[in-house]
Amino acid sequence: MRIKLSRNTVREVDMTPMIDIVFQLIAFFMVVNNFEQVKVDERIKLPRDQLARPREEVAVDHVVLNIGYVRDDTGAIISEPLVFYLSAQTPILDFGPTLQTEANVQKRLGKELSDVTIEIRADGDIETGQIQEVIRMAQDAGFQKFTLKAIQGEQQR
Amino acid sequence: MTPMIDVVFQLLIFFLLTLRINEPEGEFQINMPLDEKAAPSNEIALPPIKVRLIANEDGSLNSIVFGERNLGGGPDVFERLNQVILQTVGGNQTGGAASETEVEIDADYQLDYSYTIRAVSACTGAIDPATNQPVRYVDKIKFTPPKRPATGTPKL
Repeated sequence: MRIKLSRNTVREVDMTPMIDIVFQLIAFFMVVNNFEQVKVDERIKLPRDQLARPREEVAVDHVVLNIGYVRDDTGAIISEPLVFYLSAQTPILDFGPTLQTEANVQKRLGKELSDVTIEIRADGDIETGQIQEVIRMAQDAGFQKFTLKAIQGEQQR
Repeated sequence: MTPMIDVVFQLLIFFLLTLRINEPEGEFQINMPLDEKAAPSNEIALPPIKVRLIANEDGSLNSIVFGERNLGGGPDVFERLNQVILQTVGGNQTGGAASETEVEIDADYQLDYSYTIRAVSACTGAIDPATNQPVRYVDKIKFTPPKRPATGTPKL
């Protein structure tokens, strides 16, 4: 008796090169993605300075304050100076109670306020006095360490 | 094979959507201790160098006063400030006087923050043109308390 060989008529596509490429893409995006900058607010137009360098040792405990304006599509300022913090927009002079609350939270977590750094990401167009107000309110809440953020690069003006 | 490819594509889409291309950020450290009373020490603490930033009404920089010396205004004023800071710390950028000197920045309330950052930068140090690396002059920088203008209105 003659046995018929059954041949699989479905052609399988070789997936290996595609998987290789996809894995390479994933590795690329994992490396490029900066998860540390999740607290940055893209509405803030940071000043630029060539001496602004990242800190050598990363601050373990820090509070990021984004201070700036709401702008329209053309970039024109349409609000008073605001602190963007935890999805809320608070006028600067009203931000003291939030800082007090943050200080209490840090204390409850067992942290010394002298070890907690306040990172100020402020818009270059904001009044310096407003930044000094935030620093004073943070000092009243017990914070002592501050850093002023800027984009690394040559000044534009 | 199919479930693995599904998961891999999900991962790929996740990383694509969460990708944020931001310019690299740096920072300047500001030291504002609550208690000004220093610990007992045999060393005599140097008084802070006062840098006064005077603003025009529109928030631009009018002039800089270093101690009692008016450095004037203009685009080169930050370079002049940088030079006098270097002269004051004695050109010893690696330690000693540089690390002990403290600068107190007294800026007008309405001055644009970008000018203040430039002044902080000019006090902090400079880029060495030979090595293209930052050279630090002063580590301790602080601000004066805010002085609200008597008849000032918040800028919109």
